Amino acid sequence: MLGFTLKRLLTALPTLLLVAVAVFALVRAVPGDPASLMLGDMATEASVADLRAQMGLDQPIVAQFARWLGRVLGGDLGQSIQYAVPVLPLLLERFMVTAAVVVAAVAIAALIAVPAGLLAAWRQGSAWDLGVVATATLLMSIPSFWMGLLLLLGLGLKLGWLPVVGYVSLSADLKAGLVYLVMPVLTLVLVESGVLIRMARAAALEVLRLDYVAHARAKGLPEPLVLARHVLPNAFAPTWTLIGLVLGNLLGGIAVVETVFTLPGLGRLLVGAIFARDYPVIQGCMLFITFVYVMVNLVVDLLYPLFDPRVVAE
Amino acid sequence: MTPPLSQRPRAGAAIGFALVGFFVAAALLGCFWTPHDPLKINILQRMKPPGTAFWLGTDEFGRDVLSRLIAGARNSLLIAVLTVAGAVAAGSLLGLVAGYARGWVDRLLMMLNDALLAFPGILLALGLLAVLGANKYGIVLALALAYLPSVARVVRGSVLSVRAREFVEASRILGNSEAYTAWRHVLPNCIAPLTVLATSMLGWVLLAEGALSFLGLGVPPPEATWGNMLSAARPFIGQAAWLAIFPGLCISLALLGVNLLGDALRDRLDPRMRA
Amino acid sequence: MTPNRLRPTTPARLLAAAALGAAAAGGAAAQTLTYAMNQDIRSTNPGVNRDGNTDAVAQHMVEGLVGYDAKGVAAPMLARSVQVSPDGRTYTFKLRKGVKFHNGAEMTSADVLWSWNRYMDPRTQWRCTSEFDGRGAVKVEKAEAPDAETFVMVIDKPSALFLATLARFDCGSTAVLHKDSVGADGAWIKPVGTGPFKLEEWRRGEFVTMSRFAAYQPLPGPPNGTVGGKRPLVPTLRFLHVPDAATVKAGLLSGAIDIADIDASQVNELKATGKVSVVSGPTAQMHTIILQTKDPLLASKPLRQAIAAALDTAQIVQAVSDGLGVPNNSVVPSASAYYTAVQKQGFKHDVEKARRLLREAGYKGEPIRMLTNKRPIVPSFEVSVIAQAMLQAVGLNVEIENIEWATQLERYQKGNYQMQSFSYSARLDPALGYEAIVGPKAKQPRKVWDSPQAQALLDKATEVTAPAERQKLFDELHRLQIDEVPIIVLYNNVDFSALARRVKGYAPWFASTPRLWEVSVQ
Repeated sequence: MLGFTLKRLLTALPTLLLVAVAVFALVRAVPGDPASLMLGDMATEASVADLRAQMGLDQPIVAQFARWLGRVLGGDLGQSIQYAVPVLPLLLERFMVTAAVVVAAVAIAALIAVPAGLLAAWRQGSAWDLGVVATATLLMSIPSFWMGLLLLLGLGLKLGWLPVVGYVSLSADLKAGLVYLVMPVLTLVLVESGVLIRMARAAALEVLRLDYVAHARAKGLPEPLVLARHVLPNAFAPTWTLIGLVLGNLLGGIAVVETVFTLPGLGRLLVGAIFARDYPVIQGCMLFITFVYVMVNLVVDLLYPLFDPRVVAE
Repeated sequence: MTPPLSQRPRAGAAIGFALVGFFVAAALLGCFWTPHDPLKINILQRMKPPGTAFWLGTDEFGRDVLSRLIAGARNSLLIAVLTVAGAVAAGSLLGLVAGYARGWVDRLLMMLNDALLAFPGILLALGLLAVLGANKYGIVLALALAYLPSVARVVRGSVLSVRAREFVEASRILGNSEAYTAWRHVLPNCIAPLTVLATSMLGWVLLAEGALSFLGLGVPPPEATWGNMLSAARPFIGQAAWLAIFPGLCISLALLGVNLLGDALRDRLDPRMRA
Repeated sequence: MTPNRLRPTTPARLLAAAALGAAAAGGAAAQTLTYAMNQDIRSTNPGVNRDGNTDAVAQHMVEGLVGYDAKGVAAPMLARSVQVSPDGRTYTFKLRKGVKFHNGAEMTSADVLWSWNRYMDPRTQWRCTSEFDGRGAVKVEKAEAPDAETFVMVIDKPSALFLATLARFDCGSTAVLHKDSVGADGAWIKPVGTGPFKLEEWRRGEFVTMSRFAAYQPLPGPPNGTVGGKRPLVPTLRFLHVPDAATVKAGLLSGAIDIADIDASQVNELKATGKVSVVSGPTAQMHTIILQTKDPLLASKPLRQAIAAALDTAQIVQAVSDGLGVPNNSVVPSASAYYTAVQKQGFKHDVEKARRLLREAGYKGEPIRMLTNKRPIVPSFEVSVIAQAMLQAVGLNVEIENIEWATQLERYQKGNYQMQSFSYSARLDPALGYEAIVGPKAKQPRKVWDSPQAQALLDKATEVTAPAERQKLFDELHRLQIDEVPIIVLYNNVDFSALARRVKGYAPWFASTPRLWEVSVQ
């Protein structure tokens, strides 16, 4: 298992490097640069040149990359141009917010999806099954940003139950912080449970057809036990892989939900940094997101055997 | 042992077909006629709720929402179709080459593929848009690049599993060139999983284009797409809720149609993959 | 100075801030004046690591030899008088006596010289070094302190803008600082200046607090720009970082925030609550449409004049500013001392004339692209949409290209565009305003008006100091601008500030920066 982990991490290194190089180059190829953006319409040719030199942007691009990479290997991701603070702590702070929302949402969605999918598969063809599948298909067709806007309109503006903007960090005040997270998490739960329910149901259907389930039933095992002991763990395995995929996807797509609810998360940080040409933050963010993506996939693959004893991690 | 086909899939397919057909028709109609000019501003008529003159209301510039939705259908669907076509074409090529070549070529291509997969669409979209100019074709290129890795993987997988089969060997023994073998025997076997993937992709692209436009990186205003209409509606959500409801409804219904159609297609072509 | 308006973002530390206010000693808390800023400051080092908010905060702690008066004219601040030699090159500043730094030391010319040398040292990374080392308008050849109350600067050629540039907020007003502001190695510690407030604490991302400088020596008289009366009437100031507009509104209504800048769209709803008052004032920020005179189509003067005639400035301004803006086609800001009846004469909206000019220009319907962006702090997009409609009405085939700000700015800098809906930051002296648009395109592609005639007028206006003479030059420049139409100025931004009931004495001004001196709470 350790060997597997190490091998995976090692193969991730070239990917990380490739992404770093691509981002570095792409972001500098795009028109506009942080120095002239900071000076805005007040920029003169001389003041922009001075600022570029101070930011090290007048160096050849390979030299800039080498310098940046050297610092990264030493743990220093540089300083944000917009906020004048070190990048790594900024990233981690924002990531905490994103992670809180994403993990909570996926966990709750999974807790709802797996039993629902299981029950639908068990009662395949019934009204319950139809209802579950229809709901799931409907839910997965609703874009997260629209769902968020609707919740904002309904729960926030019309009913006034929840605050419409703002954020209090959980570490500052747990109760108040949780209130601000309800709508974003609810949005994601609704949107992701659709696809998870369908996967859980499909996997459960597969298993229910299998001979050993019929065998267990024939042995006289009560139905709930059949479901719990045989169907559930095996249905969960592919769902677990999908959870990994969903988590990975959300890392990329979370920016829209954060924008709707104005959350200080990683997605919005990246989008804002792109608009502001904050090179250190863009580069740091990208590296970080890729790394998290790799780690999530790794954890999913490592834990897979827990759910599917037939599979052994190489 | 396949479970009996219940009524649902057929109803689902019918609804899916109807929805997709509706939007395609609307998009086609939009090429020739819309109730009002989707770009015409009319300051006196701004922020009017749905009524007799403007069936779905007007936006902050007094433009007719319904006309913009129809124009948006045309833009969004065009982008989705072009993107999927591009991703399938490029991704298939990549997957074919990787699956065929094997060895270090395969490993290299797959590593590039994975890197592309990990790259966030927003950065890619921004980069391409800024370089190409803010328009639909930049989005198509950016999204096609973002989704071709999935296609490449599927095609490569198919290639790997098929090329070992007997009829491929037979074709080779007969003296056919690799390319001919690929074309006549290997590729057709990819069609089923590809079709299923392409249908799902249509949905993803529709969603992604909406999300990008929502963030301000998609097709820029004043051209209408459902995504950028939603984005523009956000500050007015308290006073003019209809501006946020209708574009989102369109995206959702179109997506629902695509998903239902995708399900039906999957049932027909590859029942093992039924969700 | 770029205005930083409110973007709906996060976080709401209002609860924490209110708690903070309550936790501090009851009476003292009531005496803290809280101002909401939409972004945290970048540093406390004036003119070095800065943006608009950073400059505004710095103004309360430091002062320079000169500042700006209410009409945007450079006026003595720490200098009690400024004498210019007949050849216009030697500036003799006689310093005020008895001015104290926050650490109790008395200001002398040695401090002024030390500050100047530090600014001009490239290691300091002062934003305005290039303005004074020959690459900008003037070159400071010599700076000396012949005696304790005299400071002399010699520049290479006469300039009416020298003092105005020294006083610029983005230069940190060329503030006079005490050596204790930096460590032995030259690293920045904190601003030890002569301003009415001194720095207490800067908690990154949250707030900046300052306390009253008891030994502050105000100039006599009422508040007058950044000169004049500047007494610190409250014991504590707090600049609170509140990036979110809705949170600001909540804070104003709950009393956690005393003063905040707001958007035009929020004015009516805030007034309606009855809990806050709203004050407003014109600024020097310009919203314009710029034209690229080197473009093959737009090189034609009749075509540009047609564009100007096709636009109804009053209607555009009415629509994009909710009726709260005042149309102004002149580069001279409407609140400037130099804005007279001449500047009021702008473009006339005349559709027939526009059509006639188009025929004269031989326009055949070729497409013209107008660049715009959707930043919330400027009306760029809204202006472009309405302008496009008006231009299309006379037969001009104008297309809008909406791009993001960084790209638009780059194309502005390179001159790579046909038309742009563009906003200029506030420039208080009209010569600085004209300087932003007049220049040789070969060397400075960002300049929109490449005209030897205009350049000559501008150079003169930059040189001569007598207001009457400058007025004549600005008048001529204005008439020339209206005739040649390199730029169509639409209006000057109006600033709005919401004040809690207990705030007395606050007034917005022309330069768009908050002034929390001479303000008290009850």
